[in-house]
Amino acid sequence: MKKKLIGLVLSGAMGASLLAGCGASSGGAAAGTGAAGAAEEAEAALSQGDEEYDLTLYSIQTTDPEFDQWLADVEAGTGLNINVIAAPTDSDTRQQKITTMLSTGDSSVDIIEINDEMSTTFKNSGWLVGLNDTVMTEDIRDKFAQGYVKQMITSNDGDIIGVPSYAGYLAFWVNQEILDEVGIESINTKEDFMKYMEAVSDGSRYGYGGSWEKTYVFNEIAQFVNMFGGDYYDWTNPANKEAMEFMHDLVKNGYTPLDQLADKYEQMNPKANDGKYGCWFMWGLGTDYANAGMLGEDKIHQAMVPCLSEDGQRYIFTDSWSYVLNAASEHQDAAVKFLQFAAGKDGMEAGYKYFDRYPARADVAEEVVPDTDPTKEMYSQYASECNVMGRPMLPQTMEFISAMGTIFQSYVRDEITVDDFLKQAQGYVEQYQ
Amino acid sequence: MKNKKSILAAAWLLVIPVLSIRAFTTLYPIAATIRNSFFDIKLLQGKNEFCGIKNYIFAFRDPKVLTSIEFTVIFVAASMILHIMMGVILALILNIKFKGQRFLRTIILIPWAMPAVVIGMAAKWGFNNDYGLINDLIRRFINPDFNYSWLIYKNSARFAVIVMDLWKDLPFFAILVLSGLQFISHDIYEAARVDGASGIQCFTKITLPLIAKNVATLTIPFTLWRLTSFDLVYSMTSGGPGEDTALIAYRITMEAFTNLNTGYAAALAVLLFIVMLIFTSLNMRLQTKMAD
Repeated sequence: MKKKLIGLVLSGAMGASLLAGCGASSGGAAAGTGAAGAAEEAEAALSQGDEEYDLTLYSIQTTDPEFDQWLADVEAGTGLNINVIAAPTDSDTRQQKITTMLSTGDSSVDIIEINDEMSTTFKNSGWLVGLNDTVMTEDIRDKFAQGYVKQMITSNDGDIIGVPSYAGYLAFWVNQEILDEVGIESINTKEDFMKYMEAVSDGSRYGYGGSWEKTYVFNEIAQFVNMFGGDYYDWTNPANKEAMEFMHDLVKNGYTPLDQLADKYEQMNPKANDGKYGCWFMWGLGTDYANAGMLGEDKIHQAMVPCLSEDGQRYIFTDSWSYVLNAASEHQDAAVKFLQFAAGKDGMEAGYKYFDRYPARADVAEEVVPDTDPTKEMYSQYASECNVMGRPMLPQTMEFISAMGTIFQSYVRDEITVDDFLKQAQGYVEQYQ
Repeated sequence: MKNKKSILAAAWLLVIPVLSIRAFTTLYPIAATIRNSFFDIKLLQGKNEFCGIKNYIFAFRDPKVLTSIEFTVIFVAASMILHIMMGVILALILNIKFKGQRFLRTIILIPWAMPAVVIGMAAKWGFNNDYGLINDLIRRFINPDFNYSWLIYKNSARFAVIVMDLWKDLPFFAILVLSGLQFISHDIYEAARVDGASGIQCFTKITLPLIAKNVATLTIPFTLWRLTSFDLVYSMTSGGPGEDTALIAYRITMEAFTNLNTGYAAALAVLLFIVMLIFTSLNMRLQTKMAD
């Protein structure tokens, strides 16, 4: 009997540890395990050498070799003594930590860098401070891409909740060595694209490569829907069906590998560097390719997005990570000072200089980025020749993205038909909208 | 009598701080979770409404949860059967006296000492078709043309997760079984041999019955660990392909901390808690029967 009791108590204790994770108050006051962890981290960081800090920044850039120089520049420019907490490098973990911090009213962090997925999720939650009157004033906000600001970082009440730290595109990348090898000069139309697919693909090398892990594939599904002139929020649109069948056929015809269903960017980029892919879509300025000595006009470089739709339009997605101000912050003045710097010329320049992040403000990009930087020309072409759009996201962003990725993976593995996919996709849009 | 009472009061006084902390860190979260499970709490939508047992009913209709339950049952059953079978074999091997026995017993625990997240991340690369260790070994020693992406198909991804779980925890299980083996007196084996018992008979008639209770006891925590395991799939497959390797604890974590569906996550956690209590009760009953 005693043993029985001990056994039950032990299993109870174990279950309790799991249950404890779900016991956070919905009112936002009680701290869950994640928040407690974050608070501990913050405390540990703040206590280093008993130094007094003006604010705490939760940054994704700490692994960058030039981070310390960037921080020194920012501290010199703002006069603030900044405590930095490194955000997890894993995207799921990072999002969970930030979500927990904000939702529990954790005040240990003042400024957080968040991506579009998070800004869409949080912008109407009341967890972030509106910056219209302090940082993103009319004269400043006009210098950012208006569509992006409105679509991604403006709440339903009109509050701008973030300062975009850079401007990025989901750029089209090609391997010039492969292009030269198969004798194709450029990929402009659907015909060019298909010709390239056929010429490159041989079972060990593929015309197109992607990262189709269930949460990452969202970018490419949306990109192809756009390129076919579809609408991500309307899966009854015939162009959406055409786009999905096109992606499915890329796999079926051996133009892209099914292996990439498990790939995130960290798996896709080495394959691109190894010459396994002829073309692909990817964010950023190609740091991974540069590190592998593969970035360049004669190797891997950005190219104009092909036009796959009949309307002759080209489409491209833009993205950014934004600095946001935690509503629970106890250092609002210092945080505003930091954000003003980040939104200004010096802040943008520091991001470009140390992190290779293309300035989000067009006027700063024009002034700071040298004409010799090939990105400048390409980005200017993207801006002028493509329909630049923010990615389609709904308030329950990650749930929606994951659900869409799951049915896409089922579709390309032939577990469901295209009509099943479209029906379920439309169902998810209606469910999460 | 009075003296005894005051001693008791003093004892309670000393224990109360610990009990208070325990109540705050364990009882309160449990109570809050059970309470939350009856509410439709969606933090991102600012929703917090009483919904009765709606979360519990939805749990049994939610395809994602049903897939998670299916894989959790497969994962726990397969992993535990293999733990027991291979764990006993490994323990028997480790029980044989040979040069380097101590060294082997020590290094065999290395996988167990590694964090599951690290193992999961390494396994993600290990099972990669292009860069992975597994396919590289197969290409070198078995079939040079072998190409297979383990983590994109339902069955192979599930198999890979179970293999990694075994790789990590089997040595620890074996070491614990080994400790039971070492309690068996050599005199019993010697007596059996004198009576003409073969090696197999010694194993089935002496070793197995004498370690059975030890193994049965070990299955309780090992099964409960499997039921609450989420870190391996979190870092290795993210529950994919689709939701095929999403263990129930992983699903709870995603609902609680990514989707912020706190009420629903709480209901799933309560259900898992009940399953764990039932399993433990059954196991205890089995042990009592074995003792009888």
